[in-house]
This record gives sequence, structure tokens and C-alpha cells, in this order.
Amino acid sequence: MSILYTDEQKQIGESARRFFSDNYSGVVLKDLLEVPGRYDQGFWPACRDMGWTALAIPPDYGGLGLGLIEFAIVAEEAGRAVAGAPFLLTSYAAAQAILLAGEQSLCAEILPLLASGAKIGTLAFAEGTDPVPLQLTVTLAGERISGVKHAVLGGAHADIAVTLASRDGAPALVLVDLTDQAVRRDVLNTYDNSRGFANITFDHAPVRLLTTEDAIGIAWNVLNRVAVGLAAEQVGGADACMEMARDYATTRYAFGQPIGKFQAIKHRIAEMYVANQIAKANCLEAAIGFTHGSPRADPLAAAARISAIRAYDFATREGIQTFGGIGATWESDMHLHLRRARSSAAVLGSRFLWEDRLVAALEAQA
Amino acid sequence: MSGELLGALEDYRARARSWLEQHAAPFGGEARRNLDEAQDLELGRRWMALKYEHGYSGISLPKHLGGVGLSQLHQAIFHQEEMAFNVPTIYFSISLGQPIPIMMHYAPEEVSKKFIIPALRGEQIWAQLFSEPAAGSDLAGVRTKAVRHGDDWILSGQKLWTSWAHHADYGVIVARHDPSVPKHKGLTYFWLDMRAPGVKVRPVRLADGTRDVNEVFLDNVRIPDSQRLGKVGDGFAVAMHTMVIERYSAGADETGYGPLLDQFIALARGARLAGQSSLTDGRVRESIADAYRLQQALVTMRSKAFLALANGDEPGAEGSIHKLVSARARQELSELALDLEGPVAHYDANAKPKENWVASWLAAPTGRIAGGTDEILLNIIAEKILGLPQDHRPDKGVPFDLT
Repeated sequence: MSILYTDEQKQIGESARRFFSDNYSGVVLKDLLEVPGRYDQGFWPACRDMGWTALAIPPDYGGLGLGLIEFAIVAEEAGRAVAGAPFLLTSYAAAQAILLAGEQSLCAEILPLLASGAKIGTLAFAEGTDPVPLQLTVTLAGERISGVKHAVLGGAHADIAVTLASRDGAPALVLVDLTDQAVRRDVLNTYDNSRGFANITFDHAPVRLLTTEDAIGIAWNVLNRVAVGLAAEQVGGADACMEMARDYATTRYAFGQPIGKFQAIKHRIAEMYVANQIAKANCLEAAIGFTHGSPRADPLAAAARISAIRAYDFATREGIQTFGGIGATWESDMHLHLRRARSSAAVLGSRFLWEDRLVAALEAQA
Repeated sequence: MSGELLGALEDYRARARSWLEQHAAPFGGEARRNLDEAQDLELGRRWMALKYEHGYSGISLPKHLGGVGLSQLHQAIFHQEEMAFNVPTIYFSISLGQPIPIMMHYAPEEVSKKFIIPALRGEQIWAQLFSEPAAGSDLAGVRTKAVRHGDDWILSGQKLWTSWAHHADYGVIVARHDPSVPKHKGLTYFWLDMRAPGVKVRPVRLADGTRDVNEVFLDNVRIPDSQRLGKVGDGFAVAMHTMVIERYSAGADETGYGPLLDQFIALARGARLAGQSSLTDGRVRESIADAYRLQQALVTMRSKAFLALANGDEPGAEGSIHKLVSARARQELSELALDLEGPVAHYDANAKPKENWVASWLAAPTGRIAGGTDEILLNIIAEKILGLPQDHRPDKGVPFDLT
């Protein structure tokens, strides 16, 4: 497994970048902001056509048998384009959870549907702002769950979800059909509406049990991988902001010269580049870590998430500052990134939580 | 990288570690306590000789020149492992880091061959004579003169911040052979004998109390034209090549040449804050997380750069990121370590920055200046990588003697 991309991996990235630059524009994406529950209708069919839905699923289950490294390459390009639907990431997440927790027969039944994109999957772990609650309020009795999961990413549209529920106080991972009539979705109006956040209420909704063994451990294992995929999206977005700022700074004149000649501007853009490169390196190393089953994969995933949050925040904040007034208008694409940077930082648990997790992992190794 | 190569590298790491465990203790850590610099250097020379005997010095240099013939990745792996033993290699870091590779590139093979093995064995030390009182960040502004006399050159002037010049046997130097052309064009690069008549070395004491850097005075030092490296007028290009090698050197340390992160975690665990171990404090944990992610990223980026090198790509300006990030992070972490230790932080005037937070903190400002200031590195990143316009430079294109 290479720390330098193989030709095949480069090709995946290039074709993804081409697809997004040919098919995406900020104009469409801004329309999605104003109404909750809408997403880019072209996105999902394209993900299916391009084979991205199948990337990280084993060939036995209808996938391409690649892994987190390749998934992250595509995620980075989706992030660069501020893609108008979160399903690539959420379906990846659901597939990983089923792979790690589900029996072979269940994998054989469900994973091909995720690989082809016939179904959109997601995770519904969080209660409140806790991405993996220790005290679960959603309960499992028999083969049915009841309770509320909060701010589920892609929850407004996903067909199936892997969720955490408590059976007599013991956590279990279960698979639930979100189209069942015992499931209610309340689509949330947020500052980044194309992410399709929804609260999901289960009222004796039928589920398939994945596992009761080490459910919390598996949940975190999945979230660690998702954190790397999301970090790749964030890095792509941060790079887009840096490039927009750089291009503007080389063409915008003030005081008789391009503003990029002033160190106050050029150094800030260089700092964006540095932060992005750090996050990119963390993402790559974490993806390699999971691919090889490295014991350092967990702290590396946390490192990727923290670096990506920091890089995207910095690039959006200072990117807008580089543009001046025009960067703060609705017309500018910068606020698409500003919104996405924040919603990505807030989902999966905040930076503070991941910093704690990272240090806890180091303590455990010491 | 194929799984096979990865496995081979991990095997190499294991072998290196076990060799270090067997051999390093008499040369590192406690063994160095209370040694004066001359004794420490002597210990270092013996360590280098031992490493050479066992194939751990000059790991990435080609065999026919006296090296081991492995890759820079191997070199970096050995260096990572060696770091934990705190052995006295600092005196040889510049010598082997820049002048020796530059000699390999630019001197005739029969010449460089004569010097490589003694340098690898620690018997000889090379210095790098670049900065001057009036030329630091603006290296092309050096004023040391090189005047042609038949087959010789006469060098006169003053160099500054020359690390380990007081121990050096030889040096590489940039000087101005022609002040009538714009500054970058009038420079030529040489090597010289630091014991030649007219060379005088005077230590400069830095704020941390060390005397590692020097002023070097050159008073009509005569050197033959055969000691020129590169063409007349190519001195700036060779100097830039030297800087690129420096920023990519296998010895580059992701801690920024400060103590290891594990050492900080141990300190934080023992330090009390509001009645508890400071390691439970969110701000302390945030700092540890930041140090970890930055250090890990630098390790990854360096491995990537070495692999790119192995694939035949030229190193680029990305190496600048390493020093920029590691030097700043080390300064911040060292400050925090002292805060956690309190005013009686373990102070030992002889302690080395790699093992002691006070020493690391006091030397940290130098780390952000030496070898390219933060600001110069940001300029390099902005201009060379991102294509942003150059700063306004009023002396551009103007003959040096008119500026």
C-alpha cells in the first residue's frame, strides 16, 4: 500500500475531479441552502454511475474491493465541490458498520444494495450532541426499537440506517428500515441544508440485529473511519478555498500591485496551504493505518479529523478575508464552504471530543 | 510502497533498534551528563566511528563513495530510532547534512572520496559558511570577497552564525567574485580548509548560553581554483541547492529538535493542575493532540518526499513546511512544559534541548530563525509552490555595488 498514490488511485481522483468540475456550480448549491430537505438530484445517480458507491465494499458483496484510501480520494473531490448531498459518506459509513458487525448472510443481503446505490444508508448513533452515547435512550425490545436519534446526517433521505440501541442496558447495533411506517423523520432547518439533517423517531420500528458484542467498540471503529472520509472532504473544501484566495490575490490590484505581493496576504495563503497539507498527510496515514490494521489507526484518525477541522476553518475564515467584501456576499461561493466547514466540524462530535480521544489513545499506548 | 518494501523497512527498523539497544547506552543519555563540550565531542567521534564500522553512518550515501548504499528512508528510520538514545551526533549534523552531499554533487569524485569517510567516521567536521552580519535572510547579499589571482582565489570578509566552526576542519563558503553585477549573479561557491592561514573563528554566545555558533573572519585566505564548486557565478544556485538538501535532510526531526512528545506526556501526567494531574485538563490535552497531529503529518510528508526522490523526482519547496511547522510547534510545547513544571523547572545549563524543556525553550527562538526564518519559508511556499507574486524588491536587477 503506497503513501504515494498508484496510477489507478490517481485516475480515480482525476476522474472524480473532472466530474465535479463539469457538473457542479455554486449557483445550484446555493438554492439548496434555502429550503430544508432538498439535495442535489444529480449527485446520487452520478455516484452510482461512477462506481463510487461500490468502492469500499468487497467484491463478494458486489463492490470493487478497494478501501478507505480510494474512498478518501473521491471524498476529497466531493468536498472540493461542496457536493450537494452527503450520501456517499453516509452510505460508506453504513456499509462499514454492517461489514464490521453483521453476519455474512446479512452482508450478502444488504451490502449489494449499498454497492449499487439502490439504497442510501446512514448511521444514526447520536443522541443530543453525543456521537456515541454511553447512556442510550433508544431502546431495543424484541426486534423493535423506540426512541429518538438526533441530527442524523442524510437522515432526511436515507433508506436504511445502522443505529445503536440499548437492550436491558446493554448496547446493540441494529439495522433499521427508515421507510417503515413506525419511523418518523423531522427534517431540520440548518445553516447547511443540503446535508439533510433530520431527527428520527422510532416507535416500535422493526430492526435486524447486527450485534450485541462490543457494539460501542464497533461504533467507534466505524466513526473513526468515517472521520477520515469526512476529513478528506474537509481537506478538499479547504484546498478549494485556498486556491480561490490565491487566484484572487494574484489578479486583484490595490495600491498599485496585486494584493498577493503583500506578505499580510501571501503569508496567510501560504499558511492555508501548510494547514491543508498537514491535514492531507494525516488523512492519508490514517487511511493507510486502517487498511493495514495498524494499532495507531485510531489516534491517526483523530489527528486527521482535528487537522481537517482546523484547516477548513482557517481556509474559510481567512479565505473570505482575502476577498474582502465580495467574499462575504451571497453570490460568492465562499459561504458554501463556510457553512460546510462548520457543519462538518459539528457532526461526529466536536474537535474537543476528538482531542480527548486522541490523547486517550496515546495514554493507552504508553 | 509495496507491502514487501514496507516489511523490509520495518525489518530494518527492528534491526537498527536492537543494534542501538546493544551499543548506544555508553554514548547517550546519562553517559553524557557532566561532560564538557570537548569530552562530549570526543564521545561523539567514537560513536560515529562505531556506527561506521557497523554500517550505520552514511546509510543513504552510495557504496562506491564509502556509504552504505541504502535509501534515505532507511537513513530516516535509523535517525528516528537513534533520537531516543540522545547520543552526541549534533556536532556532525551540519557536516553530514549539507557540505558532504554538496561535495558529492559538485567536487570531482577523487576529491570528495578523500573527505567522505573521515566525515562519516566523525574524524573530520565540515562547516557551512553562508550568513554574514549584513546578509541573513537575504543570503544573496553576502559581502565576503573572492578575488581571482592566477589559479587562486583570495577570500576576505566575515561570516556569522556558523555552527560548529570552532570544531570544523573544512567548510563550504559563498563569496562575491563580482560586485558589478546584480547580487544573485556575482556569487561563487568554494570549499576551504578551516585551518588555512587567515581563517579566524570566534564563538558567539547565544541567549541560551551555548557557544555553538561562530563568527568566522577571513583575512586574505588563499584557495586554489580547484576548490571551486560549480561555475563562477553559480554560487547562489549551489547555495539554494544546499538549502533544499538541508530542508529535506534525513536528520530532520519532527519534534523540531526538542524533546519527544512522550516526554511531554509523562511531564503532564506528573504535573498538578487544580488538584489533579494536568493530563486531565482539556487545554493540555489539546496541546498534546496538536503536537501529535503535526509531528505525524511531518513524518508522513517526509516519507512521501523520500519516496518521490527514490522515484527520480527532484525535491521541491515542500521541504520548507517541515522546518516551519516543527520549529513553531516545538516553541509552543516547550513554553507549556515550563508552565506545567512551574518556576523551578528543571534547569541545567549543560542540558541539551532534546532532553530538557528549559534548554529546548531557550533555544527555540533560534530554531525559527536558523536555516530560513518562518517568514522566508512562507515566502518560499507562497512563491515557489503557489505561484503568488514576489515581494517588491527595490534591489532587483541593480548591480550589487550600486545598492
